[in-house]
Amino acid sequence: MSDQVNVDASSGSGFYKMMMGFFASYGFLPVILVFLYLGFGLVEPVFLTGANAQNIIEQASYLIVLATAQMFVLLTRGFDLSLGVVVSVVSVASAMVMVSIAPEGEGPVILALTAGIFTALVVGATAGGINGICVAYFGINPFVVTLGMQGIAFGLATTISGGFPVFGLPDTLINTLGQGATWFGFLSPPVGVCIIILLLSHFVLNYTVFGRSIYLLGSNPRAAEVGGLPWRRHNMMAYVLCSTIAAIGAILITARTGTGEPSTGGGLVLLSIAAAVAGGVSLRGGEGRVIHVVFGGLLVSVLSVGMNLARIDSFLQQVVLGFVVVGAVFLDRLRLRIRL
Amino acid sequence: MTTNTTLNPPTATGQSSAANAPLIDMKGIQKRFPGVLALDQIEFELRPGEVHVLFGENGAGKSTLINVISGTFPQDGGTYTFCGEALSNLNPYRARQIGISPVFQEFSLAPDLTIEENLFLGREISKGGVLNKSEMRTKVAQVLDNLGFDLSAKQRVAELSRAQQQMAEIAKALLHDVRVLILDEPTASLSERETERLFEIIDDLKAQGVGIIYVSHRMAEIKRLADRVTVLRDGRLVGTVEAELVSEEKLIEMMTGRTFEAMFPHIENRAGDTLLQTSGLTTRDRLVDNVDFNVKAGEVVGIAGLVGCGKSELARAIFGLEDIESGKIELMGQPVTRPSPAHMLKRGLCYFPSDRVAEGLALPRSVRENMTLAALDLKAFASRGFLKIKSERRIADEMIRRLTVAPGDPEKRVEFLSGGNRQKVMLARGLERDVKVYLFDEPTVGIDVGAKAEIYNLIKEMAEGGAAVVVISSELPEVIHLSHRAYVMHRGALVAELTGEEIVEATILAHFFDRDHLDEAGEPPLQDAG
Repeated sequence: MSDQVNVDASSGSGFYKMMMGFFASYGFLPVILVFLYLGFGLVEPVFLTGANAQNIIEQASYLIVLATAQMFVLLTRGFDLSLGVVVSVVSVASAMVMVSIAPEGEGPVILALTAGIFTALVVGATAGGINGICVAYFGINPFVVTLGMQGIAFGLATTISGGFPVFGLPDTLINTLGQGATWFGFLSPPVGVCIIILLLSHFVLNYTVFGRSIYLLGSNPRAAEVGGLPWRRHNMMAYVLCSTIAAIGAILITARTGTGEPSTGGGLVLLSIAAAVAGGVSLRGGEGRVIHVVFGGLLVSVLSVGMNLARIDSFLQQVVLGFVVVGAVFLDRLRLRIRL
Repeated sequence: MTTNTTLNPPTATGQSSAANAPLIDMKGIQKRFPGVLALDQIEFELRPGEVHVLFGENGAGKSTLINVISGTFPQDGGTYTFCGEALSNLNPYRARQIGISPVFQEFSLAPDLTIEENLFLGREISKGGVLNKSEMRTKVAQVLDNLGFDLSAKQRVAELSRAQQQMAEIAKALLHDVRVLILDEPTASLSERETERLFEIIDDLKAQGVGIIYVSHRMAEIKRLADRVTVLRDGRLVGTVEAELVSEEKLIEMMTGRTFEAMFPHIENRAGDTLLQTSGLTTRDRLVDNVDFNVKAGEVVGIAGLVGCGKSELARAIFGLEDIESGKIELMGQPVTRPSPAHMLKRGLCYFPSDRVAEGLALPRSVRENMTLAALDLKAFASRGFLKIKSERRIADEMIRRLTVAPGDPEKRVEFLSGGNRQKVMLARGLERDVKVYLFDEPTVGIDVGAKAEIYNLIKEMAEGGAAVVVISSELPEVIHLSHRAYVMHRGALVAELTGEEIVEATILAHFFDRDHLDEAGEPPLQDAG
């Protein structure tokens, strides 16, 4: 049954083949994205200005970083519900470290920044390590594990910060990584960091044994085991990488707001999963590329910026995003059918 | 029903007017998929009370044809007449309603439901919106009882073996009134006894005037069952022949379009040192119980036995896929303490699982990636965690040529390949590294005759190249014609070891059935050896 639909076979109309090939690899998203962009533009012409485009791209870059993190575990057939609160706990922890070394930017600022970033990465990797070990070595369902981690991280973030934002971060942080700053006179820092993460992730996924391995084990965990792949280790590493990338995202967010935020994280899980899945990363594992996350992140950002401009109530926006996730999963199914 | 008045079967259905009219009459059927003409001008006729075998290599169009017949996808051209009425806009639901009941190879059972729930899925018996459980239960019990399959209606499908799932599928197809039963390789995972039971059922259905379309590669089954055989090749009709009037060789010629050559190569016996040896091997679940077994360099050892006898588990235990309770494994003279797939592969032992889809391949990934799936620890493909894509491409191309994988595109997703080609992709893993012991578990299940012959030749190459080869198979001819030495396994124990001339069907079967017979007669089961 499966060998009959050859998209690249010799007959059939060229346009049809091209469209099928396009949808099979990218889904309907790029098309939807264009329509949405133009649609919002019709409602609110400001939407189409260069400044707004830049705004969308910057917003999207934070999200794309988190969605890339999420993609690594989605590829293994897992998901990480703790991603959002890990962002919170990392933000708070690293902010507290920076503030304690150089309060209000008085003191060894470079040391403070280094220590802060180091703390962020360690906290992130630790949370991911615990998730990964529980999933890969103890065989606990990722839903349960990361839900538990969500509780733990949320508790930690609120306890150590006392529930309040951590103020007094060095200005240097905000000036080098915040939204207002630019690199080389044109590049916004979050966009720059996002591009670096995307390039590295693309490399890891396509040119390392680990990357290959998570695609294989996501496609068929039993086959990965029978084939002798170190699948447990790689499965665990996917969680570590996920939380570590999320920690980098947390630093960017901390630099944007200028405070360590114990409560930013909550909504980010849904957004990260929405962006990844809407972009075409499959919840069934083994399928998804960096480009998918880029499309997905852009979609979610276009939606939220557009809805803001159209003055749609923020709670209603949540409803729309919920529908986007469900719709994306539905389209994912549809794409599977086209392919088969 | 069981009286001997079935000489004139169609009358039993009470449709005397249509007694000899065909149930299904298809003319000039065409089916096109994007880029492929899957069926071209097919003529097919099914009479009541006949077993009509569809024969052809994978990709010949058999599956497409039965999908058209059962309404999964409509034909693009030609006419499809059912009981004298032209059918249009057929869909699977309507097909079932008019009595066309397919049993596909891909199972349609919901794993988390019980057999009973599955059988009635979508066709529940209800009264005023409330399920009539007792009636359903009675009916299921009746059907299962009638079939004589060893199944309980309460079992969850997820807990069933492949063979049991196959039986449940068949039960599902027979639950409601059937006029055309379609069986797609139904015996691929059944044991000999279950197969024989299925054949009896088919005989009964024939006597009741049911038309049966039977897809199979197996000559023995065709000889046993077929009234007529329709041979397809590359989506075209080669011909329809009376089964009695055609020889096996002729059928294979029709199917392959080539002259028939002996399927099984002669393998030189140059047995050398013992490479793999177990003593007292027992798995935790006791499916392998106290097994002493060995295989030498240059030797092909067959293991025969019924489904569930533990022959597959023996290989899996050695490869580290089953928990071992006690016993020893020695590989090339060195003891193996805790086998795991990665470890065994490194030490030169490779196991090819029987269920390619579940355990062998990552279907959505490319041929190239699947070929190196079990070799990423090798210097040739990766160093310091980085892949060597160029060398991987080169070796994938080489493997595609050597194993004649079609289509020969290394970037093709494996899910688009036929069974035989999938198997070849999986076998590549054994050729990329230095393997001394090969364990084949059902190496030719669900693949066509041409690919079978190629796999037998590969086994010959391996053995004559000095490797030890174990062939675990439910296809007796494989064990008989390939093995230098053969074991028969029964309830977890090796009950016979045969060499050379002793390896014949009668001897092997004697060891299969003797014991079962004794057990059924109420005598205490024989104590297993050791």
